[in-house]
Amino acid sequence: MTTDMAGSKSRPPARRGVRLLDIATRDDRAHESPDWVRISGASALALRFSSGRFSRDFAFGGINLLLNYDDGCRSDCAYCGLARTRPGSYEDKSFIRVEWPLVRTDDLVDRMARHEERLTRLCISMVTNPFAFRDTCDITERIRRKVRAPLSILVAPPTLNRRRLERFKELGVDMIGFGIDAVTEDLFRRLRSDVPAGGAGLRWSQYWEIVSHARDLFGPWKVNCHALVGLGETDRDLMDIFVRLRDREIYAYLFCFNPEPDSRMGAEEKSSIRRWRRIQLLRHLVESEGMGWDDVSFDSAGNLRSLSARPALVEEALRSGEPFMTNGCPGGAGEPGCTRPYGSYRPSEPFRDFPFPPSPDDLVSIGEELGVEELITSRRRT
Amino acid sequence: MTGDTYRIVRGYRLALDRAYDRETHMWVSVQDGDRVRIGLDPLGVETTGSIAQLAVLRSPSSLRRGEQFGSLEAEKFVGPLLAPLSGVVVACNDAAIADPGLLHRDRFGEGWLAEMDARDLAAERQELVEGAEEIVAWFESKVDEYRLRGVLAE
Repeated sequence: MTTDMAGSKSRPPARRGVRLLDIATRDDRAHESPDWVRISGASALALRFSSGRFSRDFAFGGINLLLNYDDGCRSDCAYCGLARTRPGSYEDKSFIRVEWPLVRTDDLVDRMARHEERLTRLCISMVTNPFAFRDTCDITERIRRKVRAPLSILVAPPTLNRRRLERFKELGVDMIGFGIDAVTEDLFRRLRSDVPAGGAGLRWSQYWEIVSHARDLFGPWKVNCHALVGLGETDRDLMDIFVRLRDREIYAYLFCFNPEPDSRMGAEEKSSIRRWRRIQLLRHLVESEGMGWDDVSFDSAGNLRSLSARPALVEEALRSGEPFMTNGCPGGAGEPGCTRPYGSYRPSEPFRDFPFPPSPDDLVSIGEELGVEELITSRRRT
Repeated sequence: MTGDTYRIVRGYRLALDRAYDRETHMWVSVQDGDRVRIGLDPLGVETTGSIAQLAVLRSPSSLRRGEQFGSLEAEKFVGPLLAPLSGVVVACNDAAIADPGLLHRDRFGEGWLAEMDARDLAAERQELVEGAEEIVAWFESKVDEYRLRGVLAE
């Protein structure tokens, strides 16, 4: 539409007083885990706690849970919607762009059991809290009694040790995720450890120690580390972590930084779509096609300059659309399991990661966003 | 299409004093002559999700029935607003644009979207659902359809 439009200012989704869902009796002091959990907006739609739909119709079954405590997460990460020093009450804070409705755990488990045929993957996200391990075990047991869908845990390393990871495995958890987010030690320290409210024990070395235990206990390709693109890292930094994780048979899951209003990084820009697409392609070629340092070049600032992967390899990756789909734990049959639709972008923006195989039209758009010819051409010139 | 009659249909409060577009869930209420006010009915709002952004044509704009006069966006959905009649959009509801929550709180009142001068009201209203029994039957069938599709909360 090219005519003059009057539009709402950009804002978080309107509150409708329905964010506490299915409440039998309200007790403001007692909306804490393990009896209560938050669920993603997409999960609330899939389990019919909320009305609504996705812009594009597709099967969705990746249910994400988030522990909930009145005093919130003890961490204070600069980019996170749940950070301690972000203004507002914990209950009203958004996380990864949207609100996460609060539901009774037992109601949630009953719903999951009722809709089990559509579930592809479940994931419990811990927060940094002294009760997080105990409560994650409790919730895992409640789920496992009634629901068979594969279950991941996105862990809070400061609350864990090897024995506790073993306990998760005994309870039936098959994959472990780590929100490394900031992909270099320096960035991690600045954004997550040396922070206004104290780092709550978040240390780069301790994260990697727990990653190593998880890799040892859960096995190859059963552990994943999240890399958040747009926190100030270079493309070379990302390449470095992709290679190191690939060599340890650990997945790298990409997330796109999306500024949470009022957070310390709330005024920062998200990465350009071109950079994001190139990083998606790079991750795919490293992880799935074995590409290494000899196949890429970077400029002096660490920006990706060219790819010398075999053209057929790149063409096939582009044709499949796979590099641009959501990185997430798989379903029971290996299909996409955790797909987080519209997780780090608004529905009116281009898909940052596709929760379904991109359509032919999508692939055309991706090709334009990526500017792959330029990447290949610049290689030829060098 | 005047009066102030409401009925609860499948749990939704529905105004029977106006006409509805069967597919887009736009309601049409005649104000004066060919001037109509348009809005979104309870299913149109509910199946969108929690509406966060609303945009509506501001300047006088000539449209044909079915053409886009705006858009709305929720947490997981974005879609066009389509004109239920041909005519000229002459006003938009700035209050709803500033606070899209009005569409949830007062769907048939303060949550209206736009006003149009209809070009061929007599002919085009034949395409709309009108009359209490027709409206109720149509709305019941749509609720059932959306429940089957799984887009309404249980």
